[in-house]
Amino acid sequence: MSALTFTLRSAPAQRVDAGMLTPTALAGQAVSDIAAIMLKLGKRALRADELFDIAGDDTTDIVFRGDCSKLERIGAGMKSGRVTVDGDAGPYVGQGLLGGTITVAGSAGAFCATGMKGGRIDIVGNVGESAGGAIPGEMKGMAGGLLLVGGNAGDRLGDRMRRGQILVGGNAGDYCGTRMIAGTIAVAGTLGAYPAYGMKRGTLILNALPAQMLPTIVDCGAHRLGFLSLLYASWKGLPGPFGALDASACTVRRYMGDMAVGGRGELLVRG
Amino acid sequence: MSVIKLTGGRVIDPANGVDDQVRDLYIRDGRLIAAPDANDRISAEYNISGRIVMSGAIDMHSHIGGGKVNIAREMLPEDHRGDPVERTELTRSSCGHAAPGTLAAGYRYAEMGYTAAFEPALLPVNARQAHMEMGDTPMLDTGGYAMLGSDDFLLRMLAAKEDQQAINDYVAWTLHATQTVGIKVVNPGAISAFKFNQRKLDLDEQNAFYGITPREIVKVLSRAVHDLGVAKPLHVHASNLGVPGNVDTTLGTMDAAEGLPVHLTHIQFHSYGTEGERKFSSAAARIAEAINQKKNVSADVGQILFGQTVTASGDNMVQYRNAGHGSPKKSVIMDIECDAGCGVVPFKYKDQNFVNALQWAIGLEIFLMVDDPWRIFLTTDHPNGAPFTTYPHLIKLLMDRSFRNAMLDTINPDARAMSNLAGLDREYSLYEIAIMTRAGPAKLIGLADRGHLAPGAAADIVVYKEDADRERMFEKPELVFKDGELVVRDGRIVKVVRGGTHAVKPEFDIGIEKKIKPYFERFHSVRMNNFKISDDELCECGGGSKLIAHACRKRG
Repeated sequence: MSALTFTLRSAPAQRVDAGMLTPTALAGQAVSDIAAIMLKLGKRALRADELFDIAGDDTTDIVFRGDCSKLERIGAGMKSGRVTVDGDAGPYVGQGLLGGTITVAGSAGAFCATGMKGGRIDIVGNVGESAGGAIPGEMKGMAGGLLLVGGNAGDRLGDRMRRGQILVGGNAGDYCGTRMIAGTIAVAGTLGAYPAYGMKRGTLILNALPAQMLPTIVDCGAHRLGFLSLLYASWKGLPGPFGALDASACTVRRYMGDMAVGGRGELLVRG
Repeated sequence: MSVIKLTGGRVIDPANGVDDQVRDLYIRDGRLIAAPDANDRISAEYNISGRIVMSGAIDMHSHIGGGKVNIAREMLPEDHRGDPVERTELTRSSCGHAAPGTLAAGYRYAEMGYTAAFEPALLPVNARQAHMEMGDTPMLDTGGYAMLGSDDFLLRMLAAKEDQQAINDYVAWTLHATQTVGIKVVNPGAISAFKFNQRKLDLDEQNAFYGITPREIVKVLSRAVHDLGVAKPLHVHASNLGVPGNVDTTLGTMDAAEGLPVHLTHIQFHSYGTEGERKFSSAAARIAEAINQKKNVSADVGQILFGQTVTASGDNMVQYRNAGHGSPKKSVIMDIECDAGCGVVPFKYKDQNFVNALQWAIGLEIFLMVDDPWRIFLTTDHPNGAPFTTYPHLIKLLMDRSFRNAMLDTINPDARAMSNLAGLDREYSLYEIAIMTRAGPAKLIGLADRGHLAPGAAADIVVYKEDADRERMFEKPELVFKDGELVVRDGRIVKVVRGGTHAVKPEFDIGIEKKIKPYFERFHSVRMNNFKISDDELCECGGGSKLIAHACRKRG
């Protein structure tokens, strides 16, 4: 068996919902059936084999090749298996992911990992805005699992995040951790303005203070927090800067907020 | 002239006492005729022998337009994302399960054989928008019941002890200004009381500011509607909705009309006792007995069915109390320009939840224990109890005892034990279903040329293929005609049409405007003359839909 590979015949001009091309949705289906799946391309419907060259037959290991930046919902809702994108991916990568792994060699669009509950997503490049955030109308963003971003994250990283971890190797945009309910976000690079706006609980781990901070985020002084050594140890071996942290370096400056909504969220700035 | 002939159908037309008789029907110029004359030629003939023929169904209580429906739509983008309706060559794209867009609502109603639906809670200040939305709802005739009872103008009149004549004039003026077909009162006076920090208001409890009780409001409004000669009895959403033990309030509200016609809406939510361990029980038997005895009372059920929906009500007092039970957890409770209020709370009815399961059983008990199908109506209070698309399922529950009992066996066992549903053997006949969904609503609202199939009636006709599975039968009629045009074939739209807007035009003394105008100038966000919707504007904002005006015979 070889990986089931979807190679785009040409980059689609309109958005395509690829949410049904996951190991979970395709389990047990013959390649001929998969070829006949109707996909929506803008307002048209197209057979999968009109859009893709399809090769391989292992539905637990799915690969997308070509310019996939118009493919939406790659790996959505899957329970197990592996999805790999050779280049860039569109928005909603891993929406509602329950298990398994998704790897994007390039960058991913907006709302990556929204509603994710388990599993792991590796984005080697950048992610768009609201990674791990809630799509409009939803009360929760990411609710479990691990999102690893090698590059930068856009604005509103982890908006309304409920549980799980997001580790960003590069920088994050404005309003990181807005309206966060719980969960952990770590950013190795710099942070945009006004993180933790409306944050109820949860943890942001930063290497430097953001340029602008809301007045409702308050300085609580320097602390040595033992749990950090356990957390760092759990990240050991992950790609990027967080896999190589010194587990004994757990002194941080602790800020709490957003005081406007109870203020039980924390920003831990590493010394 | 050209005539359409429907040949050999089994006609069920309760308004004319016709029960399953084979008859040919002729349609000319959008109307039924007795037989073609010498100048006519049959332009199309449909052989429908063996098929069941009824007039178009009428939903007399369905929230399809107005502020709160739009708020529900805005608040639930996931409801729209999760239920897309694709465009076809004929129909436009739309979306939505619990709070569908206007287009999806119109198409789905027509595809189930409905040709009219009435928005039961049209706030006067929102009337313009509600009519625009209903005008944008294809396939259906529409109309609204204007909501009074918590508006400051009426409460001021009552507090000042103004005479019934003045109140009648104000009610008639409101019907004209809002282009509506009836009057509704929602939790009488309590939407106002909520603003004075009252969190419940019993039937004989005074509004803290105006000193008016719900009983007085029901009394004067049912009198006004009657005096003006409006056919549709006062539409009452009684006090204490959803509160265990509210059966006494509901029975008291029936009496508050003092023998005049009164319609109690979504009565299932008002039929609760306080027996049992959990102090929540069915009082359907008492309610049904009262309806059977009091011939001035009619009711629609507001059946709940299990699944995700959204509750949208003018009753902000109840919705404020329920907001914590919302699923997903979000809600809107708001005042609407000091005219009334609005509360929208998404809700998921669960068959294993004791309260929800018992609510389901209570609704069915009421259906089965009320003897006269002319005075009980089939509704889910769309979308409050369930979306209207569940009607075929509900019809099957009423017509098929073994199916009903099989469903009963799957619900919460404690609720099952508290219900006498298993002991109710009644099965509705097709004739009774036709009364409940066609002849009854048309008679109640006063639509003389709808809901029946006699010569002269509008040719709103539905042809069903007989099927022992009543759900399958009613969800996909074979043919639907709207005003004589074939609009649905085999459950699919074949032609998109636009219905009309029903409104009543009672006589009144225009002198009442001398009082209303200064009130608007002092307190309102619009001037009186901008508030009123003219006939021309109604047709224009309804996208060219026509006004179907009904005269009233003054009784006062």
